[in-house]
Amino acid sequence: MDSMMLVMTMVWLTLPFFVGFSIYLLPQSDRILALLVTLVSMAFAMVLFGQPAPLSWQLLDSFGVTLMADSLSAFFILTNALVTAAVILYCWYRGKTTFFYIQAIILHGSVNAAFICADLISLYVALEVIGIATFLLIAYPRSDRSLWVALRYLFVSNTAMLFYLMGAALIYQTHQSFAFTALEGAPTEAVALLFVGLLTKGGIFVSGLWLPLTHSESETPVSAMMSGVVVKAGVFPLVRLALMLEDIDPIVRVFGAGTALLGVAYAMFEKDTKRMLAFHTVSQMGFVLAAPEVGGFYALTHGLVKAALFLTAGALPSRSFKELHDQPIHTPIWIALVIASFSISGFPLLSGFGAKVLTMKNLLPWQVIAMNMAALGTAISFAKFIFLPHSPVKAQAVKRGFWPAVLLLLAGLVVANVAYYDAYSLANIAKPLAIIALGWLVYLLIIQRMVVKLPRVLEEFEHLIGVMSVMLMVLFGMVLA
Amino acid sequence: MLYACVYATILLGFFGILLKENLVMKIIAMDVMSTGVIALFVLVAAKGGVYTPILAAGTAGNYADPVPQAVILTAIVIGFSIQALMLVAVMKLARDNPTLETRAIEEEYRP
Repeated sequence: MDSMMLVMTMVWLTLPFFVGFSIYLLPQSDRILALLVTLVSMAFAMVLFGQPAPLSWQLLDSFGVTLMADSLSAFFILTNALVTAAVILYCWYRGKTTFFYIQAIILHGSVNAAFICADLISLYVALEVIGIATFLLIAYPRSDRSLWVALRYLFVSNTAMLFYLMGAALIYQTHQSFAFTALEGAPTEAVALLFVGLLTKGGIFVSGLWLPLTHSESETPVSAMMSGVVVKAGVFPLVRLALMLEDIDPIVRVFGAGTALLGVAYAMFEKDTKRMLAFHTVSQMGFVLAAPEVGGFYALTHGLVKAALFLTAGALPSRSFKELHDQPIHTPIWIALVIASFSISGFPLLSGFGAKVLTMKNLLPWQVIAMNMAALGTAISFAKFIFLPHSPVKAQAVKRGFWPAVLLLLAGLVVANVAYYDAYSLANIAKPLAIIALGWLVYLLIIQRMVVKLPRVLEEFEHLIGVMSVMLMVLFGMVLA
Repeated sequence: MLYACVYATILLGFFGILLKENLVMKIIAMDVMSTGVIALFVLVAAKGGVYTPILAAGTAGNYADPVPQAVILTAIVIGFSIQALMLVAVMKLARDNPTLETRAIEEEYRP
């Protein structure tokens, strides 16, 4: 049984790369092959859910690659499969070249690898491949602007990974091992260096401020993929480490609460749809980290909802909320937007509700206030989408492929609801409803009339790099404490 | 002593990324930093000895640890390919921004 699972895992893990590199030989069937790979991932995630115990393997000898797969990985893998499938469906009729699908599927494969590996070096390789594939996807339009956004992304991510690598070297020095478990009793500076890399890659707290510009200035399908799954490749190891090691858990929780508040504070005052969604990703990663035990389910619902929102935002006539208020949007698109917004605000009947209830249940006492504030902020920021004017008149045609993609994601949201149906008790239902109502009230009375321009200083390139050194100091202090 | 040199290299590279204005200089600074990290791995590997871990007469168990060396080989290849990719992007950017000043480019492409 175990050896069969191992064969299956290896086939699943390597398939995206084989397909990715051989798509060039069969350019006519690029979309079909890419979609097939995501279906295989979906099936694999389902098999993982059915496993009674976590699976782990040590490939080759004691210094070989370590893999670990459990239901946490399964949630992340399923997210990856669904979001990639939706993106491919979205691009189906848009005349993307074979190159685009190759990069998308290699990105899919490397993100999968990040979700299953359990040693520092395999993770490093997976994260770097993710960086390269993402760079190529962002730069796909070949405009100077997209090149700059991509270059900036690769620069920040590679510098972060150098810090990570330093941390890995120091950990090896103490324990002669690269496995995640070697972090136990590792020197302070090693853990701090490692975390700078992962926090930056996962878009957490101030070191994640590269994310808004990158995610909002990319093309719609690329934004959806980045916000839906790629940031989670940096978040997943943090969740895994928090679950494995007790010393790490409080650090991860602090950053979870911090980033949830920071992201939502920016999102509330943002006047641009895509930037608002991107800031909101920063905040939602905080929810995943705030309660590592149930982070998997939260990541799944966030991935589905954020990909759907980015794809829908791409179909809106304008990016500015102000212009959207004067320009009614087509009602079906508005409905899709509202369903996604409801789910992310934690409205019952959608899986965002279950995920939020589950996360709130697993918080530590000191986190409760911060996370409820963040939930309120979420309701406020998404009121901006819900209260947009709409009309049944079709202003502009939606491209083919849009609806299959969005419907797949929204259906995923409804179906994922069954994962935690215990959530439906009266008290559980009343709380999110109260938060949403309060959020709308605050939005209509205060936020809508306010014009606040938050400074973007921290998003400048130099500051992004500089913040890494500051974070290093902060982390050093935290690990020491 | 050697550790101090290695850390100094890494730090110098990092400050180069931070303080240099020109994009090409920034990339070179990043290369310096990654050279430092590679040296750190080599140093960690040399803790047990300095000889190549191949059985031969006269080395008497004074072998270097092959694991960090093998690992860093992968990282060198990755770092090299990323640098190549970045330089290609810079070449394309240089057509419209011949000075390659980061600040100016950032101003220009800000939303």
